[in-house]
Amino acid sequence: MKKSNRKVMIAVLVLVTSVGFLIYRGFAETSVYYMTVGELKTSVLGQKIGPTQAVRVGGLVIDGSTSYNQRDLELRFSLKDENNPHETIDAVYMGAKPDAFEPDIEALLEGTYDRARNLFQAETLMVKCPSKYESETKQDDKQEVGK
Amino acid sequence: MITFGILSQLAALFFTLLSMGLLLAGLGRNNVRLVESGKRGLLSALAATTLASIALAYLFLTDNFQVEYVASYSDRALPIFYKATAFWAGQKGSLLFWAWVLSLFIGLVIFSNRKEPDDRNTPYVYLVMAGTLSFFLFLLCVISNPFDTLNFMPRDGQGLNPMLQNPGMIFHPPTLFLGYIGFTVPFAYAIAAMITGSSDASWIRKTRVWNVLSWVFLSIGIILGGQWAYVELGWGGYWAWDPVENASFIPWLVSTAFIHTAIIQERRGVMKVWNMVLVQLTFILCIFGTYLVRSGILQSVHDFGATGLGGYFLLFLIVITVGGVYLLAESYSEFKTPGSVESYLSRESTFLFNNVILLALAFATLLGTVFPILSEVVTGNKITVGQPFFNQVNTPLFLLLILLTGICPLIGWRKATVSNLRRNFLFPGIVALLSGIVMVAFGIRQTYALLAFVLAAFVGGTIIQEYVTAILSRKKLTGESSPGAAVKILWKMRRRYGGHIVHFGLAMMVVGIAASSAYKLEKQATLKQGETMTIGDFTLEYEGFRQYEKYNRTIYAARLGVFRDGKRIDEMEAERRYYVNAKQPTTEVAIRSTLAQDLYVTMPGIGQGNEITLKVAINPLLIWIWFGSGLMVVGGVLAIIPSRRRES
Repeated sequence: MKKSNRKVMIAVLVLVTSVGFLIYRGFAETSVYYMTVGELKTSVLGQKIGPTQAVRVGGLVIDGSTSYNQRDLELRFSLKDENNPHETIDAVYMGAKPDAFEPDIEALLEGTYDRARNLFQAETLMVKCPSKYESETKQDDKQEVGK
Repeated sequence: MITFGILSQLAALFFTLLSMGLLLAGLGRNNVRLVESGKRGLLSALAATTLASIALAYLFLTDNFQVEYVASYSDRALPIFYKATAFWAGQKGSLLFWAWVLSLFIGLVIFSNRKEPDDRNTPYVYLVMAGTLSFFLFLLCVISNPFDTLNFMPRDGQGLNPMLQNPGMIFHPPTLFLGYIGFTVPFAYAIAAMITGSSDASWIRKTRVWNVLSWVFLSIGIILGGQWAYVELGWGGYWAWDPVENASFIPWLVSTAFIHTAIIQERRGVMKVWNMVLVQLTFILCIFGTYLVRSGILQSVHDFGATGLGGYFLLFLIVITVGGVYLLAESYSEFKTPGSVESYLSRESTFLFNNVILLALAFATLLGTVFPILSEVVTGNKITVGQPFFNQVNTPLFLLLILLTGICPLIGWRKATVSNLRRNFLFPGIVALLSGIVMVAFGIRQTYALLAFVLAAFVGGTIIQEYVTAILSRKKLTGESSPGAAVKILWKMRRRYGGHIVHFGLAMMVVGIAASSAYKLEKQATLKQGETMTIGDFTLEYEGFRQYEKYNRTIYAARLGVFRDGKRIDEMEAERRYYVNAKQPTTEVAIRSTLAQDLYVTMPGIGQGNEITLKVAINPLLIWIWFGSGLMVVGGVLAIIPSRRRES
């Protein structure tokens, strides 16, 4: 191999190695478990999640559970497991209620879970955005047909 | 009209399959006339998809809610502009849009090749593109037909989601699609070159315009998406590393890498295999992005949900990946070049590093995006990463990329000499150093932000240096005035200066991104009429409240006076809108943009006695992001304007 080529190859290798390290560190420092409400409450792994450990949880917003304090921007609601509706958690999110937030919508929370109070302190709250509507509208249509 | 639409789609599929048969037969028997018929078949398919598209648009404009797709995305009250564009608001219509654009592109390729007789590659080019088209037409006719009807006639449609009723959202999907679809052309040429073993750079030269144009469209699409999120969603940001965003960003990164190494192959005849890999990867990632968005396998805030199309896209993905790898392995010996980088201090080597970093960015972003799936397969638990991961990993890589952007034009092809380098680096180095000193003096202490400013200044410095030098020498040569020479250079050397403009725009974006993410101010307050709040240098006074109807919505608006240094300099209106047909009110963001900062106001709450809750942010230099991205688009377009001289 030519000398200049070797130098370039070494530089590339160094670069690739550092990128690998960067990605590894990124995962080690920022990755969190993602589970459903049911898994968080009952699974072996879910029960190991400590009260200060960040975790992401997904579920459906229970109809009638929402209370929103417009003054302090505090949103409280309960979330149920999509497949096990009797598994629920209470959640509190300090921030503006997203426009798309409504009963029965799928919500993703990231934050910490206080098992004793069954309360999820959400740092971030994401709800399914409007570009997902195909399956919903289809169901609506079926209901209308059924009527 | 419904039957007409269905029949047009079927006709398009028929013509496409027929053409594929004709092309294959023509290739097998070496029969030019069969190939010609195949081309005509593809043009007929274009006519058919055009008719199908007209039919769907007509159904939207005439409020035909018996069509399920129309009923799902439109209603009577929808302004006509949004009725027309609801065409691509959902899955089915966007597939039809995709098929129509792809057949249009096929037509354009046929048209642009009309003067030259077909060489042995072009039939394969048409064949690959027709194969892709037939996939989309199959989905349209069999799996996801936009002309499906309901078994009753609803009185009104369900309306277009209010958040999608925004000009940015209207043009975001089609531009993104144009980018995705455009890469089919270079992909098809590459596949054809591999099949026939044409290892010269002619496929790269022929597809350069497609390549850059697709990249431009992809860029516009991504930017419009970010802009839409910024002005419409009201969380104050423009990019969240959401899977769907990443799905468009990953092919953008790889295609950017390809655009760079394509230049090397054109100029120096090396990196042939690598370019084949990159162009295939770009196309595969475009399809993969579509798959991610439409399969519902990822938890994203805005995917299409599980649409039942995932399996088909996965199958298509496997076919093109396996086919591409197989062809590459078959033709590897013909494309392998013994060429090597002559010096580590050469433009080639900076391109090589640029590629490593772009691909590293693409890889990291891809890995972060699909990690929940991977981790579930491997460990049984879903592990996810969010914004912190992408920011932590990608920021240093981006900074390195910006550094290379600055260095690259300062280093000559082949091998640069040290004295050369010293002279070239002097001015940009000083610019970067000075800007760093000024920044520190102004109290900028965050490492990444400071680095971003300095590197952007460095990039700007190198480009200005090259431009000014060129102007001066042209003036000396031709005796033109400075502005005259400045314009002439841009025009005469538009390929090179198009690239420079893109890089200059990138530097501006970097400044905007760094400033607005590192030095954002946010505050929240609840105000009664007449009360004020202060953020940064600004004071906002809640001056008045009104309620009115407009088109399909009721609007509640709070008027805010904007004060600085005790003077009323402007006013803003924050709104909440109640759309007919929507259960929830939507927040309408008020933005006051200046070169220095954006004042960004949302009103998440209206309480008793019209007491309002405001969220206010100051985003420094944010508008630089939009200016910079605009420049990138301008530069990209400038670089591909064909020159008459070359044709003749």
